[in-house]
Amino acid sequence: MSRSPSMKISRFGLFGLLAPSVAIYTFIMIIPLALSFYYSLTDWTGGPTKNFIGLDNYKLLLKDSLFWHSFKNNLIILALTLVIQMGLAFLLTTFFMSKALRLKEFHRTVIFFPVVLSAVVVGFVWQMIYSHDYGILNAVLRSVGLESSIRAWLDDPKIVLYSVTLPLIWQYLGIPLMIFVSAVHGISKDIYETSELDGCTGFKKAIYITFPLIYDTIKVVMMLSISSNMLVFSHIYVMTGGGPGTSSMVLAQYAYKTSFGSMQLGYGSAVTIGMFIVSFGIILLFKRLAEVKN
Amino acid sequence: MKSKRWNKAGMSVAALTLGMSLIAGCGGNNTDNSSSASPAANGNNQEASGSTAPAKNPVKVKFMNMWAKDSTENVAVTVREQLAKFQADNPDIIVEEESIGDQNAYYTKLKTLAASNDLPDIFISKGSELAMFAQNETTAPLDEILSADTAWKDGFLPTAFNDLNSGGHTYGVPFSMLATSVIYYNKQIFADAGIASFPKTWAELQDAVDKLKAKGVTPIALGNKEQWVAESCILSALGDRFTGTDWFNGIINKSGSKFTDPDFVKGLTAFQDLAKQGAFNADLNSINNDQQKTLYFNGKAAMFMEGSWAIGAVASAPKEVADNTEVAVLPAVDGGKGNALATSGGAGSGYAVGIKGFADKKDAIAKVIKAISGEEFAKGLAEKGEPVAFKIADYDKSKVSPLAVKYAELSSQLQFTPIYDSYLSPALVSVLNADLQALLINAITPEELAKKVQAEYEKAS
Repeated sequence: MSRSPSMKISRFGLFGLLAPSVAIYTFIMIIPLALSFYYSLTDWTGGPTKNFIGLDNYKLLLKDSLFWHSFKNNLIILALTLVIQMGLAFLLTTFFMSKALRLKEFHRTVIFFPVVLSAVVVGFVWQMIYSHDYGILNAVLRSVGLESSIRAWLDDPKIVLYSVTLPLIWQYLGIPLMIFVSAVHGISKDIYETSELDGCTGFKKAIYITFPLIYDTIKVVMMLSISSNMLVFSHIYVMTGGGPGTSSMVLAQYAYKTSFGSMQLGYGSAVTIGMFIVSFGIILLFKRLAEVKN
Repeated sequence: MKSKRWNKAGMSVAALTLGMSLIAGCGGNNTDNSSSASPAANGNNQEASGSTAPAKNPVKVKFMNMWAKDSTENVAVTVREQLAKFQADNPDIIVEEESIGDQNAYYTKLKTLAASNDLPDIFISKGSELAMFAQNETTAPLDEILSADTAWKDGFLPTAFNDLNSGGHTYGVPFSMLATSVIYYNKQIFADAGIASFPKTWAELQDAVDKLKAKGVTPIALGNKEQWVAESCILSALGDRFTGTDWFNGIINKSGSKFTDPDFVKGLTAFQDLAKQGAFNADLNSINNDQQKTLYFNGKAAMFMEGSWAIGAVASAPKEVADNTEVAVLPAVDGGKGNALATSGGAGSGYAVGIKGFADKKDAIAKVIKAISGEEFAKGLAEKGEPVAFKIADYDKSKVSPLAVKYAELSSQLQFTPIYDSYLSPALVSVLNADLQALLINAITPEELAKKVQAEYEKAS
């Protein structure tokens, strides 16, 4: 890029313009993170005394089965979301591209609508849907004669994790869909026309043309999905509170519970930092795996 | 290309950190809410004080409680009556009430406030939390204001302060004596199922459960989503039946008792067996204690177990249910070391004072606490049929609901045993409560639960 004289900004001006965002970033991210790390090295339980105990909390964390159990739950939720949500979004995108689909605007709005709902509201709504005696899900099952598959959806440790993942997938389906659709719109029409001439239609078109051309977008969307799924909290907090027992406990909830439920603020901070490290690790790993060699 | 990749990485880091600071920020958000919530909660009171000439610079006393604005609980109603009266008489003190109806949310907020040393002027707290706040020096010892007015102090029942002492100081003023484990049962449903009277032994109870199940009703409605119900309202009493109170004192004093002791495990086993037998509703871990009452009020359940605070709610239930409701406590168990005529109870919680407000608003705070705990308050409470923590000579019994009379009769024969979560540390309670959820759906065995709780107990000491 050649610099025109009008684009020249003095070094001072440059830093001046950067300062506000750097300040905001520092105050709402760097400092809390540093403070959290500091607390995680203490045995703080909410009082005036914070004894420095070095890395003891982290030693405990490594052996904390509940932490790893929550992490495993996070991973399951993440895997389900990546596969089902991304898959569905991609499938829907190809539908949106086809000429057969009517009322595209309407469909788009309906699918995107849950995204703007508060997570807490969604949690409550799904809690009602899952309700054993009054829930619509069991009522539907009963009316179509599937009495045998009626469950206490949020009370069975074997299925509770899937029960709480479904609302997550449903609510945020609109986001990848929106991004995919706009990415596909960016693909030049010529490519499709040429490929159609060559006899590439329907499903093949999606796999061999659309997918490779929006691969970069898919990567970004997946990354966003990973980071938001590692932090999932409100839905599960509202629906089950991590229960029954700890079967639907996730990292964010475990951090919250240790810090504010049992008041082990020092250890809770260690959990938060641990959560940061594993989430960051997953992102790095994903970047590594998703890279395409040119 | 490289810079672009860094952008992405930066973005994801940003998203992560933002999310995490949101979690960490939960507490902060809560505190902000308080100022906007209190004027609404306090509407009536301020009107009352508005009628008299407003004094110069009134002292504001913040009072945080766990009674929803429209709560029909007798304690809540009486406290609000006394506060309204107090406001009319004391225009120079403004009580700002903040109410959080959900017990879990209330204690979460309380602990968050405590962590930032920002406890309200007056708040309600369980003994176990108070002990922790006291250790952290965020709550003020009340010995001084109590001994400044000995008539008030000596007016309380001798055992009323038991749950609220820590390290030789008193940190809370009790307002009622409650039982946390009372069985409310529908005698009509019992009769329909062919059960003549409430079971006297554990075997009879199991038999009754079978009969009720055969009738197609849920024997016991349980709403344990918030996790304290199974422990506070059932296990506290059931455990004591098996272990006797000496065992629990041994736990508190760290003098040899263990959670893995066979007696306690027997109690857990009995609890789990009840669940295995199908005594509870299938969704016991996903509904809360209000919904458990709804099951009972709809006639879908024959019993539910909750504290004496539920009397008010039952009295305002549908008439055919309210009229048929009787109260009882858990039956005797075979080989149990505990007294069968006992249930978990005590003052449980009391009014406590944040250390910040105590420094410069001591007198105003003392006045408010006296108004909502003293003789007049106790009389008002007793007239609604609620057991009180204050000695009162005579009161008008005419307005007491029939159920409250039945409860008064029952409780006069009872001995109160410790409420587990009033004494055990919050960290321990949170392990115990979560595992009880798992116990009731057979996800762990009683022995495993006992081991896990014991491990947490040893970690703390």
